[in-house]
Amino acid sequence: MEPIDIGLAVSAGMLVLVVLGMRVAFAAGLAGMIGLIWIFWAKKGYAPDDFGWALTVAVKTAGQVPHSKVSSQALSLIPTFILIGYLAYYAGLTKALFEAAKRWIAWVPGGLAVSTVFATAGFAAVSGASVATSAVFARIAIPEMLAIGYDKRFAAGVVAAAGTLASLIPPSAILVIYAIIVEQDVGKLLLAGFLPGLFSAVVYALLIVGMAMTIKGFGPPVTGFTWRERFESLPPALPIVFVVLTIILFVYNPFGGDAWGTPTEGGAIGAFVVFLIALYRGMRWSQLKDALLETAKLSVMIFTIIWGVLVYVRFLGFANLPSAFSDWITSLTASPMMILVCILLAYAVLGMFMDAIGMLLLTLPVVYPAVMALNGGEAVAAADSAFGMSGPMCAIWFGILVVKMAEFCLITPPIGLNCFVVAGVCDDISVQDVFKGVTPFFIADAITIALLVTFPMIVLWLPSQV
Amino acid sequence: MAGASLVLSDDSRLSQIDRSLYRVEGWLALVSGIAVFSLMMLAVVSVTGRNGFNQPLPGYVDWIQQAMPLIAFMGISYTQRDGGHIRMDMVVGALKGRALYAVEIITTLAVLLLMVLMVWGTYAHFARSFDFASPMWSRDSSMDIALPLWPAKLLAPIAFSVLCLRLVLQVVAYGRAFIRNDTHPIAVPLVANAATQAAMEAEHVSALDR
Repeated sequence: MEPIDIGLAVSAGMLVLVVLGMRVAFAAGLAGMIGLIWIFWAKKGYAPDDFGWALTVAVKTAGQVPHSKVSSQALSLIPTFILIGYLAYYAGLTKALFEAAKRWIAWVPGGLAVSTVFATAGFAAVSGASVATSAVFARIAIPEMLAIGYDKRFAAGVVAAAGTLASLIPPSAILVIYAIIVEQDVGKLLLAGFLPGLFSAVVYALLIVGMAMTIKGFGPPVTGFTWRERFESLPPALPIVFVVLTIILFVYNPFGGDAWGTPTEGGAIGAFVVFLIALYRGMRWSQLKDALLETAKLSVMIFTIIWGVLVYVRFLGFANLPSAFSDWITSLTASPMMILVCILLAYAVLGMFMDAIGMLLLTLPVVYPAVMALNGGEAVAAADSAFGMSGPMCAIWFGILVVKMAEFCLITPPIGLNCFVVAGVCDDISVQDVFKGVTPFFIADAITIALLVTFPMIVLWLPSQV
Repeated sequence: MAGASLVLSDDSRLSQIDRSLYRVEGWLALVSGIAVFSLMMLAVVSVTGRNGFNQPLPGYVDWIQQAMPLIAFMGISYTQRDGGHIRMDMVVGALKGRALYAVEIITTLAVLLLMVLMVWGTYAHFARSFDFASPMWSRDSSMDIALPLWPAKLLAPIAFSVLCLRLVLQVVAYGRAFIRNDTHPIAVPLVANAATQAAMEAEHVSALDR
């Protein structure tokens, strides 16, 4: 068998194991290990005496991966970002944000729902996890919306959809993972997520205002807050602003001059501030221990997938599969944009059945080089490229698009996890209700993605300033 | 796709071993959590030192690289015990009884095979940098302040060995459930459907949200 055939056979075997329910990290690692043994043994013509040699070389090749790949400064962002999210609960930031958003913007039509969207976007700034964000806001925002006469399906839909903003607005763990896998600048990707995240929030808000103005009996505006009450609501929510500004200033200094440090430092300083606030609000050792254990668990889950997939990637390199796939994609006669749209649609389908991190890590090693080849290669200049942007910019743009796709899948049936979580938190709202309520946002997301594809500047403007 | 799930226990020997191992795994995971916390403090010291006293922390990046394996590996078995490594549960979610246990035995054995090979591979990686005859027993060291690398490299085979113990225990537990055709198997994570999983997530957040 040629290496490429071994690559295809092993990858197919891995998919069978994943579908059977083997943990994704280990399925990828095992596929990589078996693939390496197979390829080395095939080189020796399958001589029985050489199996031991092939096994030893494969095991030693794979054995280098975990330590050498995780000992990186860039990856240290992931646990810090996760820690910020857990500490933020103890710092009482969620209620403070919702209260501030309500007092400042609930006067517009559909005001409480719009406030929910912006409060969630704000919380996204300290939380990298969509599902947890939805769960928190379901408890805070839905009861208030129901109390003033919102349709329960719509109220649940708003929260489920707004939760997806967490993975674009920095700090976003999933963007860090993408940056590591495709070997691009982490800071630029984090910056790139900021505007599309805000843009998505504005699209949601416009949709709600539009619905409130056209549908009779939709949630009424909430008015009557004095300016004094408004300003009083700000200080408790300020830490969020501080965290976002810190992370941005450590990546990019808008006043000219050098950035203040590295993204790693920015994330850590942000976490430290949230930690101090949580202490001030009376966090105990048992709660800190709980937050640390949860952080450890989520971090190790992510790192295990990372090294598992990197063992598989090492094998893919020997099997030459990514470059074969790239050659095939670029040989297609359809226009590059058409192919890109097909790839994004394939992610939409895949995302219905798979978790975002698992899906991205398993597919990117093959899909990412193909997309780069489609644009004209890693080092292409903007003028010669298919999508009108340089190689590194295309990497950033594609990253934001796939992450947005993965988020989109959190609110689509049959396994839109955010919808299940919202239904799980609210006793009298069924999953079907949430899926119905979330439908308008589903359309809004489709429009957002179309706009991000058509106008890449929304994504690329901020990172191109660095 | 699911992460969270439940583990049942009773007063059998198997369940006792499960819980003892879980305590050890819990300690290792806490070490990993404390490493995350230290990473945060390290950055605070580094930034304050550099900007406040014009005195950057020597070897800051070296220390991060030493701490990362603690974070990345030490909790691996703890997470496996709780069923926290993500997987697709479409098929296992639809199976029941012996069919389910048979599939779980096969996939768990596959993980065990991988991890035994990984213990070997990561130990070999460690062994190449360890040497009794060298200063600090080390053949290689970090870039800036020359920390020996072997302690960090040793963490992977240690954590992976604990995971192998956990996997053996899970194979036994699934085997026991298969033979007895249990409806409520012990010492293994149950497959939680999306709704149960959501309820657990919500409960966890409720406990946090005050």
